[in-house]
Amino acid sequence: MATFWLARTSAVQGLKVWQRQDQQLLHICQSMSAVDKGQLAKLRKQTGFSISNCKNALEMHGNDFEKAESWLQKEALSQGWEKATKLANRKTAQGLVGIHIEGNIGAMVEVNCETDFVARNDKFKTLVSRIAKECVRCAPQTSHHGITKAVLSEEQLKNLVTSDGKTLGDLLALTIGTIGENMSLPRAVQIVGSPGLNLVGYSHPSAPEENLTTGKFGVILALKTPGVLSEIARQLCVHVIGMNPKTVGTLSDPKADNPDEETTFVHQEFLIDPTVTVGEVLQEENIEIVDFIRFESGEQLIVN
Amino acid sequence: MAACRVLLSLSSAGFTQNLQTFCYRSSTLASLTRSRITPALVQTRNYAEKKVYQRDKPHCNIGTIGHVDHGKTTLTAAITKVLSDKSLAELKRYEDIDKAPQEKARGITINLAHIEYNTENRHYGHTDCPGHADYVKNMIIGTSQMDGAILVVAATDGVMPQTREHLILSKQIGIEHIVVFINKLDAADEEMVELVEMEVRELMTEMGYDGDSVPVVKGSALAAIEGNNDKIGVKAIEELMEIVDKHIPTPLRDLDKPFLLPVESVYSIAGRGTVVSGRLERGMIKKGLECEFLGYGRKLKSTITGIEMFHQTLEEAQAGDQMGALVRGLKRDDVVKGMIMAKPGTMKAHDNVEGQVYVLKKDEGGKSRAFASYCQMQVFSKTWRCSAQIVVADKEMVMPGEDAKLSLHLLKPMVLEKGQRFTLRQGSITVGTGVFTNINKDLTEDERTAVQEGKKGREKKLKAQRN
Repeated sequence: MATFWLARTSAVQGLKVWQRQDQQLLHICQSMSAVDKGQLAKLRKQTGFSISNCKNALEMHGNDFEKAESWLQKEALSQGWEKATKLANRKTAQGLVGIHIEGNIGAMVEVNCETDFVARNDKFKTLVSRIAKECVRCAPQTSHHGITKAVLSEEQLKNLVTSDGKTLGDLLALTIGTIGENMSLPRAVQIVGSPGLNLVGYSHPSAPEENLTTGKFGVILALKTPGVLSEIARQLCVHVIGMNPKTVGTLSDPKADNPDEETTFVHQEFLIDPTVTVGEVLQEENIEIVDFIRFESGEQLIVN
Repeated sequence: MAACRVLLSLSSAGFTQNLQTFCYRSSTLASLTRSRITPALVQTRNYAEKKVYQRDKPHCNIGTIGHVDHGKTTLTAAITKVLSDKSLAELKRYEDIDKAPQEKARGITINLAHIEYNTENRHYGHTDCPGHADYVKNMIIGTSQMDGAILVVAATDGVMPQTREHLILSKQIGIEHIVVFINKLDAADEEMVELVEMEVRELMTEMGYDGDSVPVVKGSALAAIEGNNDKIGVKAIEELMEIVDKHIPTPLRDLDKPFLLPVESVYSIAGRGTVVSGRLERGMIKKGLECEFLGYGRKLKSTITGIEMFHQTLEEAQAGDQMGALVRGLKRDDVVKGMIMAKPGTMKAHDNVEGQVYVLKKDEGGKSRAFASYCQMQVFSKTWRCSAQIVVADKEMVMPGEDAKLSLHLLKPMVLEKGQRFTLRQGSITVGTGVFTNINKDLTEDERTAVQEGKKGREKKLKAQRN
């Protein structure tokens, strides 16, 4: 043990020198084990897999960088599944809602993870928007009457085949492997609108002037307007998230006694300008709201 | 009520008379001071098994940050284990810390474990939270503002994608001092550990810390708990706490800062002058000191000519005292509740600030719906309140239960500083609580009129511009 520690301290010193003098003293450290440290660092940086995995890969392939990397990529999926099974019992209460819209087809998905740290991570965000895109790709192409909504269950989602032949379940497992937290895919919805219908998506939080595809909340709004879509369409989406209306309703529907408890969309005070109601805004802009869907990440958990 | 009594005593008993008695009694006071310095007998009462907190070491708040599986909680448990062996702490097991119940601190639900322990030199409060939101809430509520943090990274994994998120977080909640602990040495070998160290240093530099000189300790929290392999176990934890002792500076005590008293009420006493009362928040006040009143866009200079507490005059008031001060040359109407009495030149009033705010959920007493930019709210801080226009900095709106960065444009400049806490209210509802994080250049005359005109005025202007 003592020798181990002696070796360790000298290795640390070696490292310091190595940092300063670049590659010159590399072989000293190298001689202490089979794995080349420079290669290890490079492999780790390029692939992002955990240090122990990178080390294994290099050891197995005798420091051959290319072989190790391709092995890692191949192993990633099975390791991801292994990790996913291991973590399957952990609660996933945080997460993101992803939105993707292409013409008259839109999809919104919810992906959950364990902590909000991960929900802020770029890798996770990329995963969520990728899944939303795949859902749009797999949606039926046309709708003959008005608007069609299809809700996908977790089972259906995980078996959905992606554009590169894997399943969404594989995609999820891969990310579980790299990020190291349990994740789940509780729900998704595909929306197909008939021609002439506009689909507008928005996710919160996003900054003004910015169109993010993932967020803690998501909304897809289906509306009809004779003119071009203006800023108001986006503001209506913001309103749906902020004020959480339950139904679209018409102007002839009864109003709630307390304006703060109003759940009919057209009767609510407009979030962006509380002096007018949504109904007034719609009339002024000549917009007809056909339908909307609002997702809040983790809301099903609260219901259950 | 208490203020009333101050008023009564001041007017009836007479200030000078009290003062004279005070001088005569100075001998008694001297003996009192002596007894304070060398306590003849330290009394320790045991109230139903509650230990009495002994204030013999400086206090410091720290916390652990790091990825879920990297051993934050295990490390916390290991620290209490190692220190409890020296009877400096109470042993907490992993399960005790992990199962920390949801706490309701000042009405806000927050997941956190709060533990205390001692080293030879200091007393520590240790915070361990599971999520980003919890750390932000903890900062905003301010029950245990962290003076420093231990970043835990597992040697087997290295810097995980989230570790970046943790460092962004620590920047956001204002942690300046970080000690890195590379954990799980029992399951890793040297190359890995060295690589991890390099990675951490690189990342810290990237995040704006001094990555090259940040102290790094390597060890295994698990080994320390299980008591095997002392070198990477117990010894490493001891080394870690030694470095924490050295690297994270003790926060300045309120008593050692320049004096500051937020004015709670103002009285005028015939024949004597104006008395302001409130709780002395920082420093010490002596008779004859110069002072400055700030707030509501005004700045007044004066001198403290008398101090009184509990109907008695005294020479010197200390931080924490509820007191009244007689001030020279000011009329009652000059000073208003909410102004700050401070050592001249130490405080400043501002009207253009930024704050990090936690917006209360409905069941925490907040609003049920979101709010957007350019709404008007009341800001309460110390003893003042002031209307302000709220601008949401980096999103379209703020939902209840979220935290957000807000710009606050106050109608009048008020005394505030970085790290000071405030509450936002709208009508009778508390919208959220927050902490001032940044002070911007004061508003120009035009900007101030725009704030006063409010949202309507802004829209009119925008319309006019469009046409």
